[in-house]
Amino acid sequence: MKAEYAAAVLLLLLGALWAIPLYALVAGSLKNLADAMGTPVLQPPSQPDFGNVVAALEKFSSTIALTGLIVLPAAFAATLLGSLSAFAIRLYGGKVADWLPVVIALTTYIPYQAIIVPLVSVIRQVEVATGIPLYDTSQGLFLVLLVYYTPMATLLMFIFSNAMPREPIEASLVDGAGLPTIYWRVALPLLGPGFVSTLIFLLINMWNNLFIPLSMTRGYEKFVTLKIFSYVGQAGTIYNEMFAAALIGSLPPLVVFLFMSKYFIRGMLTLTGRSA
Amino acid sequence: MPLRLIKTRELLVFLSPLLVFVAVIYYGVGWNFWLSLTSYSIYRPVLEFVGLNTYAQLFSDPDFVNALVRTLAWALLLVLGGNVLGLVIASSIFQLRSSKLRSVLTSYFIYPMAVPLVASGVIWRWLFDSVKGFNAVLAPLGFPRVEWLSGNNAFWSLVLVSLWVYSGFVALMYLAAFYNVPASAIEAALVDGADMLTVMVKIVIPASKLGLILGVVFSTLFALQMFDLPYSVLYINPFTSTLVMYLYNKFAYMVFNLSAAACIFLIALSASIAIPYSTYGLRKWILGVVR
Repeated sequence: MKAEYAAAVLLLLLGALWAIPLYALVAGSLKNLADAMGTPVLQPPSQPDFGNVVAALEKFSSTIALTGLIVLPAAFAATLLGSLSAFAIRLYGGKVADWLPVVIALTTYIPYQAIIVPLVSVIRQVEVATGIPLYDTSQGLFLVLLVYYTPMATLLMFIFSNAMPREPIEASLVDGAGLPTIYWRVALPLLGPGFVSTLIFLLINMWNNLFIPLSMTRGYEKFVTLKIFSYVGQAGTIYNEMFAAALIGSLPPLVVFLFMSKYFIRGMLTLTGRSA
Repeated sequence: MPLRLIKTRELLVFLSPLLVFVAVIYYGVGWNFWLSLTSYSIYRPVLEFVGLNTYAQLFSDPDFVNALVRTLAWALLLVLGGNVLGLVIASSIFQLRSSKLRSVLTSYFIYPMAVPLVASGVIWRWLFDSVKGFNAVLAPLGFPRVEWLSGNNAFWSLVLVSLWVYSGFVALMYLAAFYNVPASAIEAALVDGADMLTVMVKIVIPASKLGLILGVVFSTLFALQMFDLPYSVLYINPFTSTLVMYLYNKFAYMVFNLSAAACIFLIALSASIAIPYSTYGLRKWILGVVR
């Protein structure tokens, strides 16, 4: 009982510290010009003014739509490819199931930023070879995100698939079902929660990525994180616009996290090799 | 050795996209290595083999040495601070009776990882502002004014921010380990009259070495990838430049050979942690389950 009491006090203190940036973000976004010019960041707004948030929403709407149109299909495609690959590795078993996940895990744990130079030049070469514009385009960003995140999705789905029983799959093979049917009818329902976890984890990570759009595009309009970053250069005394921009750009992943935190956390645990 | 349920040809069909992507990534590592042995840059756009000359150039560049030392220091501080904070958070959450409350609080301490780091950067930049940030609250209370972002203070301030971002993750690693400690061992000690603190220090924490390993490995990997945070709080600042920022700047200024050499160095650093972890750790924890 005493321990629980002490823990509650500690958690309240630490929790208050953890809340400061979130509180500052919301309070700062709701300040009018005079408040932002004259009052400190941590002072609540004299009266909530939604003008900046509405303005930021208007400025961001096209970028948010663009980012969503890249990130949603990329996260879904990477998760699908990852689950197909994990399913196949699991069925094949043997040595492949021993070392291939390790090879894949390495690409996930090594800083992805470190292969940006060759990647951008590969993209340029593919562009020349196929005639499809990739650098500084949405389809190029989609492709690069897919390349980077499919191995991670495979690693996650492979670890999730360890909990998958083999018997139903063996039974349906004996019944003469084809592999696509087995994947769709038997494996996917069993892997459902893992699939959702991987998807949510990838979605949030892709949306929050700054380095890839920074290296793959020009200007600040094609990706949300870049657009938030474009406010960084405007140092001045006015923080309410910057905060409103940060708030609008952070809301989609925060809302997904709020409703799906269980899945996101399960994905996080799995990334470290733990079956949650 | 279980029965193979699919043929090798079928396996390759399923894996083809993944194998292409993994090959691209490894090709990129190899390409970097090769490029780092040449003099290729905007100044000398010819691929001339110069051996380890580029690495000599890299290590004679004070910007690189500073970025390297700073990144390693950051990793050390994040490992130490993140594990202390993570352990405190996890141990506190572990005391709560309500499982609903436990999971809500675990999520709460992880929320900074769901926010784009560039947005966090914008917020913290203002919280550290010398006139309108923390100073405006602390100075009237009699605290000395701290210039959070000037000179070397900036590095320490950003380390604090990274603790806010990643400690929840480390706490999660510990919690997952705590939940695996047999409840009977805890019950027995409590019945014997031990208080909870003793039980944590003597039984639960020693049984959670895996939490420590994961906390150390991943804090280090996070620190080695540090880019968004310093870049969005202070943009290009000599006091907060990290390895990734260095290689990005060299890439942006088209000094490709130095950028590639820095990449190889960063990959080697990460691999020195990731390879033992992937081959030994993952094998032990997951691949053992497969067979």
